[in-house]
Amino acid sequence: MKISVNTEIAVTYLSARKKQTAVAALGVMFGISMFIFMQSLMKGTNDYFEKMSFNSTPHIRLYSENKVADAHMLTSYLQDPSVKILTNPKQLIQTQGLNNPYGLIREIERNPQITNVTPQVTADVIYTSGSVQINGNVAGVNIDQEDKMFDVQSNMLAGDLHDLNRVNNGLLIGKGVADKLSLHVGDNITVTSGTGSPTIMKVVGIFATTVKQVDDTKSYANIVQAQNLLGKDRSYVTDIKINLKDYNNAPAVARELETITGYKAEDWVKANEQLKAAFKIRAVILNSVIGVILLVAGFGIYNILNMTIYEKIKEIAILKAQGFSGQAVTSIFLQQAIYIGLIGGIVGIICGFGITLMVSRIYIGAGTLKYLPMSFYIPHYIEAICFGILTTVAAGYFPARKASRVDPVTIIRG
Amino acid sequence: METALKGTGINKVFHDAVNLQVLKNVSLEVKTGEFVSIVGKSGCGKSTLLYVLSTMDTDYEGQLEINQTSVTGKSLNDLARIRNESIGFVFQFHYLLPDFTCLKNVMIPALRLGKLSSKEIEAKAYEKLKMFGVEDQALKKANKLSGGQQQRVAIARALINEPTIIMGDEPTGNLDSKNTNIVFDLFQKLTKEFGQTIITVTHDEDFAKRSDRIIEMADGEIKSHGH
Repeated sequence: MKISVNTEIAVTYLSARKKQTAVAALGVMFGISMFIFMQSLMKGTNDYFEKMSFNSTPHIRLYSENKVADAHMLTSYLQDPSVKILTNPKQLIQTQGLNNPYGLIREIERNPQITNVTPQVTADVIYTSGSVQINGNVAGVNIDQEDKMFDVQSNMLAGDLHDLNRVNNGLLIGKGVADKLSLHVGDNITVTSGTGSPTIMKVVGIFATTVKQVDDTKSYANIVQAQNLLGKDRSYVTDIKINLKDYNNAPAVARELETITGYKAEDWVKANEQLKAAFKIRAVILNSVIGVILLVAGFGIYNILNMTIYEKIKEIAILKAQGFSGQAVTSIFLQQAIYIGLIGGIVGIICGFGITLMVSRIYIGAGTLKYLPMSFYIPHYIEAICFGILTTVAAGYFPARKASRVDPVTIIRG
Repeated sequence: METALKGTGINKVFHDAVNLQVLKNVSLEVKTGEFVSIVGKSGCGKSTLLYVLSTMDTDYEGQLEINQTSVTGKSLNDLARIRNESIGFVFQFHYLLPDFTCLKNVMIPALRLGKLSSKEIEAKAYEKLKMFGVEDQALKKANKLSGGQQQRVAIARALINEPTIIMGDEPTGNLDSKNTNIVFDLFQKLTKEFGQTIITVTHDEDFAKRSDRIIEMADGEIKSHGH
């Protein structure tokens, strides 16, 4: 391989001042390793919270929203085209849930983007055990589908979730409900909904999520049991929960479903707006910290190259006298910056990986979160190298340009 | 004999506080293989003239030809290429690159030119160093040598690309008489045996007298072409 003379000079200059080169590279290294560490932490945390939110929230929830009465409804009811004015309109109660839910599900399943669709009956209930009563809600689900979508199994503390399919009137209760009513697997509990008659159900399992409010109120029952609780027939479904291949498409698919079905389709972004805001805030904090670090590293390189140029100004003049063009001189000094960036970048990547690995072993032990969530995501490393090189090139460009403009006559004649 | 360098009507003004005309309509011609000394009092413009002739100073009026090609108005990159290929420089101070070995210092202009492989360049650089009796210093860092040795390495460097013209700005100004003689003999050998052209600016009268031709300058004009 033929090494250009510019490269040879750049490398000689760098190796002739090893300490300064090392200090400059160290600056870049810190920048890069912090970049990787913080990106990994952020992505890890975001992924964790996203996963957490998908443990309880589907990508899209289709439900029938209570509507406010309007004049159109009256017109179509009376079959009379005269203009009507409603004063003080009231909410209409939607007692019927979704119309033809299984037809809807078949329709929805045709969309190739959708991976899972499951119906749910939600009922607000009162749990009674002995003389204690607490409010809560029962989600009537197909537990196998529910487990596939939300990994219910990972939250199970006791019992077997599949018993919902086997045990008549089985119920999975949250840990908070179990504690408050002092219930164990195998105990009986009375569940009363607003519209149905009180039903005695059997606790077949206890689960705990990271959200206390959910654990204190929620329980799972077979969808048929929930329909019975409410005194409704088998076609009564309140929600359809939908998961997609790529959850980032949820808003678009949700809008599509709204137009097709006429029901309200809420995507996870809307349901978790505070989560999205937190992501954004974290991204801003992270990027400003990284920006500052890289800026400082960039100034380090700028400084060192500037000093080199002052020191070597006679040598630059003589190189130019011997026929090195301005471009060649720029190349010599820019290459020095790039090599500092490369060395710092490579060491920084290794350090960043090491730090990430170490931090990922730190025990946290809060809820289901045992260790700090860190992601090992290859694009972060590529980004880091790119940022590092970009910073060093930007920092090296100005000194290099200055060097290229050295007028040999002025310098040599003194 | 061919013309190695020709300047026609060269004027140069320093725009420093007051306008000072340092070169007044200077014309000169140097033939290939000539050993020319430019002499004159300090401030007469002889160094300024040399730097104009060297193509490094482009801020002048008039015409300059090197090897029968006009170089006036060429881009800085083209001029750099011309210097690299056809002009060698020897200065009062050696200006070697202290981080490099003597050998590398000599090789760099040839590496820049890129006409030969680095193996060939190395062999050639050794040959040049041998010519000046400093081949045993080849692998030392340039700043470890004595003043005389450094100047000889610097001359070897000026010759590496076999330039048609060698320009010296007080090339012996910093040397004792023994080293001055060595340098002079070498210059003479270059013109006589290798047909290279040498133009030097010097204060050293002995040195000037022994060269082929003396151009005398005063107040920015050439007083005598020495023909």
